[in-house]
Amino acid sequence: MKLTPLILALAVVFGLAEAKADRLVIKGSDTLGAKLVPQLAEHFKAEHPGTTFDIAAEGSTTGIAAIIDGTAEIGMASRRAKSSEVGAAAAKGRNMKPTIVAYDGIAVIVNSGNPVKSLTKKQVEQVFTGDVADWSAVGGSGGTISIYTRNTSSGTYSEFKELAMKKRDYGKTSQKMAGNEQIAAEVGKNKNGVGYVGMAYTKASGVRVVSIDGATPSVKSVQDHSYPYWRPTFYYTNGEPAGLAKQFLDYTTGSAGQKIVAQVGFVPIK
Amino acid sequence: MSMFAQDAGALLDLLVKKKLITDQEAEEVRAELTKQVSETSGGKWKLSTPITEVELYGDIRLRYQYNGGQTTDNSPLGAHVNGIAGHDDSQERERERYRLRLGVRGTLADDWFFGIRFETNASSRSTNVTFGDEASGGPFAKNSDTVNVGQAYLGYKGFKDITLTGGRMPNPMVSTLMVWDPDINPEGLAEQWKHTFNFEFGGGSTASTEAYSKESGKGFVAPSASESFKLKLDLFVNFGQFVYDDSNPENPLGPRATTTGQVGRVRGNQLIPNTDAFLLAWQVGGKLTFPNNIFLQIAPTIYNYTGNGDSFNIHYQGGDPNVTNAVSLAQNQTGINSLLIFDLPWEIGWKIGELPMHAFGDFAVNLDGDDRARAAGHPGFGDERYAYQAGLGVGQLKQKHDWQVDVWYQHTEQYALDPNLVDDDIFDGRQNMHGVAVKAGYALSDAVIFSVTWNYAWRINDNLGTGGTPIAIGINPLDQYQWFVADLNIKF
Repeated sequence: MKLTPLILALAVVFGLAEAKADRLVIKGSDTLGAKLVPQLAEHFKAEHPGTTFDIAAEGSTTGIAAIIDGTAEIGMASRRAKSSEVGAAAAKGRNMKPTIVAYDGIAVIVNSGNPVKSLTKKQVEQVFTGDVADWSAVGGSGGTISIYTRNTSSGTYSEFKELAMKKRDYGKTSQKMAGNEQIAAEVGKNKNGVGYVGMAYTKASGVRVVSIDGATPSVKSVQDHSYPYWRPTFYYTNGEPAGLAKQFLDYTTGSAGQKIVAQVGFVPIK
Repeated sequence: MSMFAQDAGALLDLLVKKKLITDQEAEEVRAELTKQVSETSGGKWKLSTPITEVELYGDIRLRYQYNGGQTTDNSPLGAHVNGIAGHDDSQERERERYRLRLGVRGTLADDWFFGIRFETNASSRSTNVTFGDEASGGPFAKNSDTVNVGQAYLGYKGFKDITLTGGRMPNPMVSTLMVWDPDINPEGLAEQWKHTFNFEFGGGSTASTEAYSKESGKGFVAPSASESFKLKLDLFVNFGQFVYDDSNPENPLGPRATTTGQVGRVRGNQLIPNTDAFLLAWQVGGKLTFPNNIFLQIAPTIYNYTGNGDSFNIHYQGGDPNVTNAVSLAQNQTGINSLLIFDLPWEIGWKIGELPMHAFGDFAVNLDGDDRARAAGHPGFGDERYAYQAGLGVGQLKQKHDWQVDVWYQHTEQYALDPNLVDDDIFDGRQNMHGVAVKAGYALSDAVIFSVTWNYAWRINDNLGTGGTPIAIGINPLDQYQWFVADLNIKF
């Protein structure tokens, strides 16, 4: 009589463990999680029937926090973990291990009707910090500049500040968008709009990529790091990945995964 | 460790650029370094993004202090009794004290800056805490060991040569102990401009040649022709608008309040002003530096006051030798009526061999001295309006084994200066006193200085009191005064 509940409990525990083994929880970067990782997951599932994915793309900060909290096996990030995050992980006995899964170029985009085709790095800083407020100050035909940025939990938000703005704050009039697609859509509708998106989102209608100091984001310029706003994107794991997380990471960095990386618009690591 | 991580980051970028390691290998090393840094004490400090530079600084001082003062054989009126000074009386105090000042100052993005400093002692003119001075609470009680905000200011340096500061700030004026106690941090606004002009006369030398020797490191070979004569002129302008006394509320309910009754020789009630009192400071100065570290600096200044506030509105009297000590002390010692002060601090520096020397001094006159004397009930003493100081210093205290000795004479007449601002160490913060002071210091290390300071002072005019506050010796008029301190000061 007394053994029955115990057996049932063990069955439930092992049953859940078995179910969890085929389910991979991935959280983090919208840049990676909106297009690339879902497509990788679909292809991976085709090769590994029975595998399920739980993907939440709400910003790099949430992905890194998920590794610290242990609520995801993979944390997607379009920026490096901060020392405070690494310290928080260490305090919990976790080890933030980054694996580069793709490169990206952060493209500065303007409305396709805007005559500005190139900017210097200094001008980009001036535009996004609000030091200049009118397009005429940077070679445009006039009109108040409308700045579109990502929200503060986005890795791209902080990465762009570091890469392009000397860590200064965005201009007071800047508007925060949920993701790359929203920024591209707004800039496409607003002739005075300016924003930044990952390379995978530069094909949106109504926008044009601006060259920076003569360089435009491309596979070559990002791989050889000649484009100033290039960046690696990461999967973060708690130490060396194992099990399904390792299989998916290996798949992502393998030839099949990197082919998808290129197809989606990112830059392969090799 | 943090610096090591940053340097290693640059090194990793270089190794990647030279294709000696891959991006992935660089990231793994970077992550490990970040983890190591995060586990150090330095790595656990987090600074907000707008901070571009921050400095933690301060000092701790241990002090032995002696104060002694005496009356004359005929004033104040009355024989001394227990606890109250009379003629032929004296008071002495010996105290062991400490002070702590701990500050943070830094720069922010876009040319802003800030500073905060915490200090022991709630007094504006002292940061000392006396060991064992608690009236209650038993041995080593902490009643007097409070920490207060000594400085809290922000500023902007975005305009060429100009510094704008607001808050409770370090004194922006060039001054001396005679006029401004260095413990006082004024509250309000300050605007400063400083520009350096460089002049070069004669010479016609060839360009210097860069050279290197193993012993001396990188250096320059002297020009072959005769050297030119170089002058540097620093011109500066310092303006201050300091909130001296806030009247609150400016528009009180009901009729205007008055002070109650007669105070000293001021007859009749006085309306309490309902406007704030401001101290306005106007300084234009210059420092001319000749070759061989010879310099001359002057900083002529005007100080004037607006309004009377609600605490400093009673006319200054400053004590009286013709009344008892208790009555003399009860007279107003803080009033800022009729003060329009011209001040001229100066300093000349030179070297004899490698020994730095400097002469320094100050001259001040209260241009409204007549009115101040009249309001104090002594209309015949309007000429007691001058203050001056002159001294000589030898040596400097910049690094270990340095020493410095300063000797000076100081003379402050009864109606010359603002009694609330003068240094309360020298002459016990009194006016109508003159005397000599000696300060000698030795640097035990770059950050530790031992110094002793002694001064002796006498009353100038026997017909007047010796006004001032706060005071260590409860005697007015104070006929003679002596002060000695031995300090061990650690700066960090």
